Amino acid sequence: MRRSHLVSLILVVVFAAASLAGVLSAGWTPVLGVQLQGGVEVVLRPADEISDEQFERAIEIIRNRVDAIGVAEPDITRQGTQVVIQLPGVKDKQRAVDLIGQTAELRFRPVLQMFDPTDPEQLSAIEEAMNQGQDGDIGNENSVETTEPEIPDSRASLSDVLTPPQEDDVSAMVALLGTSGQTGFVLAPADVTGEVIEEAAATFQGQWIVNVSFNDEGATLFDQMAAANYGRQVAIVLDGVVESAPTINAEEFNGQAVISGSFDEAEAKNLALVLRFGALPVEFERDDVRTVSATLGEGTLRAGVIAGLVGLALVGAYMLLYYRLLGLVAICSLATSGAILWSIVAWLGESRGLALTLAGATGIVVSIGVQVDSNIVYYERIKEEVRRGRAVRSAAAGSFRAAFSTIIWADLASLISAGVLYQLTTGTVRGFALYLGITTLIDLAVSFFFMRPLVILVARRLVGERPGRLGLSNMAGGVIR
Amino acid sequence: MNFSLKAMYRGENSWDFLGVSRRVLAGSAIVVLVCVVAIFVRGLNLGIEFEGGGVWEVPALSQVTTDDLRDAASDAGMGEARVQRITGGEDIFRVRGELTPDASAESVVSKLAEAARVDAETVSTRAVSPSFGDEVAGKARRALIVFLILIALYLTLRFEWKMALGALVAVAHDIAFTVGIYAIFQFEISPATVVAFLTIMGYSLYDTIVVFDRVKDNERSLSAKSRMTYPDLANVSLNQVIMRSVNTSITSVLPVLSLLVVGSLFLGATSLQEFAIALLVGLIIGSYSSLFVAMPVVSELKSRESHWAEQARSAGVLGQSNAIEDAAAVLAADRYDRSSPPRPRKKGRKR
Repeated sequence: MRRSHLVSLILVVVFAAASLAGVLSAGWTPVLGVQLQGGVEVVLRPADEISDEQFERAIEIIRNRVDAIGVAEPDITRQGTQVVIQLPGVKDKQRAVDLIGQTAELRFRPVLQMFDPTDPEQLSAIEEAMNQGQDGDIGNENSVETTEPEIPDSRASLSDVLTPPQEDDVSAMVALLGTSGQTGFVLAPADVTGEVIEEAAATFQGQWIVNVSFNDEGATLFDQMAAANYGRQVAIVLDGVVESAPTINAEEFNGQAVISGSFDEAEAKNLALVLRFGALPVEFERDDVRTVSATLGEGTLRAGVIAGLVGLALVGAYMLLYYRLLGLVAICSLATSGAILWSIVAWLGESRGLALTLAGATGIVVSIGVQVDSNIVYYERIKEEVRRGRAVRSAAAGSFRAAFSTIIWADLASLISAGVLYQLTTGTVRGFALYLGITTLIDLAVSFFFMRPLVILVARRLVGERPGRLGLSNMAGGVIR
Repeated sequence: MNFSLKAMYRGENSWDFLGVSRRVLAGSAIVVLVCVVAIFVRGLNLGIEFEGGGVWEVPALSQVTTDDLRDAASDAGMGEARVQRITGGEDIFRVRGELTPDASAESVVSKLAEAARVDAETVSTRAVSPSFGDEVAGKARRALIVFLILIALYLTLRFEWKMALGALVAVAHDIAFTVGIYAIFQFEISPATVVAFLTIMGYSLYDTIVVFDRVKDNERSLSAKSRMTYPDLANVSLNQVIMRSVNTSITSVLPVLSLLVVGSLFLGATSLQEFAIALLVGLIIGSYSSLFVAMPVVSELKSRESHWAEQARSAGVLGQSNAIEDAAAVLAADRYDRSSPPRPRKKGRKR
């Protein structure tokens, strides 16, 4: 009995310390939400009813765009009929908001040239060609850019050559990469956009191919383009990425086209999806757009941390004052839970990209009360038994069952509410529910495996028959009543 | 009622909670009525998340006034804009207004930043479509209903339906009171506040369950021949758990109070304030209601059961009214009849 207590105590401490040490040495820190470090949070909702397949595709498109902006910890989730996009720490906030909300447009661009993005010499040549091309095509609009002194033999880097998303206009000549990033394309202005497509499907006929059919108006437009580019490649571009670049093998398609190549099943299906849903762009409404400046975020974080620490200190002081040695046990329990919680939050941030939001942090502050209550329920039981004349050590061991049953039933109510809120709500409330649930589970585990053995040990070793050390005053008489 | 902190500390308190319960219940009912009337008469001050619109938070330099920003807002094409200067920590201006096609969130940002003489990157914005709020409110309502049904089932299975009803009455009381405070003082209601309301419900239930658990435990330990009325049983149980309730309230309120005082007053984090007020009010009222609303309601219901009515009649015949100390003695005797008696003190060796 006593041995198992000690083992459980040591295991919990080792577990908490090891997980904390592991997380710290791995350099994992909790990912802070938008409200705590600044950034952008957007909630989008499709303007019309759309299928699940379309929805998933739209989220995929948004994810690609966010990746293109280069955000460290983007969190993009579908919550019911909405998409919640959180970009903590994003630099150019306005651009991020614009980019996310845009409607996806599929473009067919004739391929002018292909290049190897890793070859510096080709890059320099492409850059030069691009600048000339722009001079020729667009005239003086971009004169500010082109009048900059050019050093002919400077090595152009890839980012200089590629067209940034905001300059990716239908009527402009652009330089873009393929899906794998291995091939670069110089592309002519788009004559045809995805609106021409009626249906696209992947089928297997000896090999995987994609059948495309065009609408009436689209068939004419597509044939015009095909005639002009017969024998050459035309790139299918979505969101600045060349999804495929098939060669045009006919001058007239009459509303039907077949794209073949060395596709595997997944590639063919993906291309069909791109053609279909890129062509029928999902229009999103912005339900909620929030940008938080870095200073405001840091201020909130600092205020929260200081307030949390002050609160903890006050709670600790009160517990010490009231329960003496048992108060110390309560503080140790809090510290253990804190170490485990920190590890979990850091792990969630690192592996799932799940950020600690302001609401989540509030859930944690609130959980301090729940955690301490588990201690109080137990201690009050012990005190009651001792008042009835029971020895401290047997009271400590004997009252845990009743106390823990109370703790379980009460915590179960918390878990039910956390579960319901997590399932049925979005955004703020959901984040709160998640951390409320996590901390409640930690509370149950720590109460059973840490608080109980520690209290029993303390009662045996340190208190003996001096209940004053537990905050039981003037108990010399033993039984009261 | 002999009120003494020292007696409470020693667990010697024997207050007659149920003796005053009808009056306290009536008082609570009046307060709740006032709150409900306030909610309907004054209405709630809903945040933009529920009504749609935009909010801009701009760092406030000392030489810039709210009028400067109001002008800038109307320049940007917003009609009526509400501009507040929020102090505490670093001052900020909070501008709230309608979004129109002319006044998009972006164009307003640059105008406001210019007027406030700060960089546009330091402006925080929030733009919410009007339909969003309906959705948020709808989801919260649905979650609330599912939650209440599940909790009612849970409490019925764990305890009994009368206790489930008592707990839900207490929760309704807490929510009505807290929302009423928001209506009376016209504090703004945001999703953060909704979170706080939900927390309050959780806390109130948690507290109530701890009380009920003790009553059930005591009820089980009563032997068949003990003479005890239900209010007496409830009274003893309440006296046993009161110190736990008080201590838990104190340790729960301390972090929230710190969030309110340190966080929002000294450091000016307004987003924390929204939570903290509701939590503070709710925590206190939640502890109150589990003792003074939930338990009396259950006691009223239970006393009507034939077994307890019988007990009450025979207690009346014996002239035993309001005898909490006697009840506690009966309970203690019954408990120790069944379980092992406490060990004599001398057996505990010193180590």
